[in-house]
Amino acid sequence: MAKGSTEATVLGRGLRVRGRVRGEGDLRVEAQVEGDVTVSGALELGEGAEVRGAVAAETVTVSGALRGDVEVRGEVVVTATGSLRGDVEAASLVLEEGGQFHGRVSADFELPDALA
Amino acid sequence: MAATVIGPGITIEGEVSSDDEVIVGGTLRGKLESEGAVTVEGDAVVEADIAAQSVAIGGHVTGNVTANDRVDLLSGGRLVGDVKAARLTIADGAVFKGNVDMEV
Amino acid sequence: MAPKDTSIIAAGTVIRGRIQSDGDLEIHGHVEGTVEVAGHLVVGPDGMVKSDLAAQSVVVAGAVSGNLRGSERVVLEDGARVVGDVSAPSIGIRPGAKLRGRVATGEAPAAEARPARSPAAAVASKSTARQAPVVAPPPRVAAKVSAPPVTKPAATPPAVRAEAAPKRAPEPVVPALQKRTKKAQKRRAR
Repeated sequence: MAKGSTEATVLGRGLRVRGRVRGEGDLRVEAQVEGDVTVSGALELGEGAEVRGAVAAETVTVSGALRGDVEVRGEVVVTATGSLRGDVEAASLVLEEGGQFHGRVSADFELPDALA
Repeated sequence: MAATVIGPGITIEGEVSSDDEVIVGGTLRGKLESEGAVTVEGDAVVEADIAAQSVAIGGHVTGNVTANDRVDLLSGGRLVGDVKAARLTIADGAVFKGNVDMEV
Repeated sequence: MAPKDTSIIAAGTVIRGRIQSDGDLEIHGHVEGTVEVAGHLVVGPDGMVKSDLAAQSVVVAGAVSGNLRGSERVVLEDGARVVGDVSAPSIGIRPGAKLRGRVATGEAPAAEARPARSPAAAVASKSTARQAPVVAPPPRVAAKVSAPPVTKPAATPPAVRAEAAPKRAPEPVVPALQKRTKKAQKRRAR
């Protein structure tokens, strides 16, 4: 996230949030959040982040710990340090080896007819 | 299209059909059909009817073998079953028990 | 060419039934049934599989309808289309891969002998037993592929199998147990 960008908000380390988080634009979370998080742009969970709650955004990148369902229009990425427990509804999901993921993923696509 | 190779460590129970060559080095029980050549290698065990363009047997086959072209039973090979093919060769040292029908 | 140990089911080949391998396997054709591989399993971009897949490592670039279980890892490459549950200690889903199902990382699938049937939920309850060759010989495979995973040639099994030759389509379990007993008797006789 670019420093000084007026679009990006950062919930820094050491911050504890209890309650819903909503926002326009992008959001980077390094904090501990208990509650749902909804942003219109990109949501990034840093390595030290711990979020318990449902998450909705344009895209989500998980490098910390997320416990809750995820609903995005675009892509969900769980990086090698990330841990996601919850169901994911997204256009696509990327899981880096080393990342943890427990949950359902539903992407919209069709198998070839031969396997229907 | 490439050859299908069923190596020594493989066991297949079921039906195999291919539009190309099949080389069996492992164990196959069921049915084998190929539009190309079938080779049953030395340590292979096939308990299945085989239908192919041609069949070369170096291992153990229990089943009926049908080939459009030729069937070759190689030395060390063992076939228990009927053969239907235009041409058949049985090498010295091979074991064969079954009927032969050579189409004209 | 793939290493000697790798078996290949080429595009244009259709297999309906059960496949067991104590080596590596590449699937580029069409497979329906069950697939258990002790080594590395690759489903190529043209591969179409309607089967649960279990192996040490499972790499999928084609289409699979079935559950994927790796004792080490499962990787879905770009172009993969998978409907089924995925479980392995390490799972990679590359950009471009499409998946519909449950994902569970960090669990070693415990059902070594019969990984194909039980879904990920059943696996989660016994995740402690962890042995490197997951599909290494359960009793039935041992009977077919000469029990210890030493490269013992098929010298013994064919002799035993010849006695059961008239049976074209044996039930897997009973003849296998008979064979094991006969093999054991032969060993004791020596």
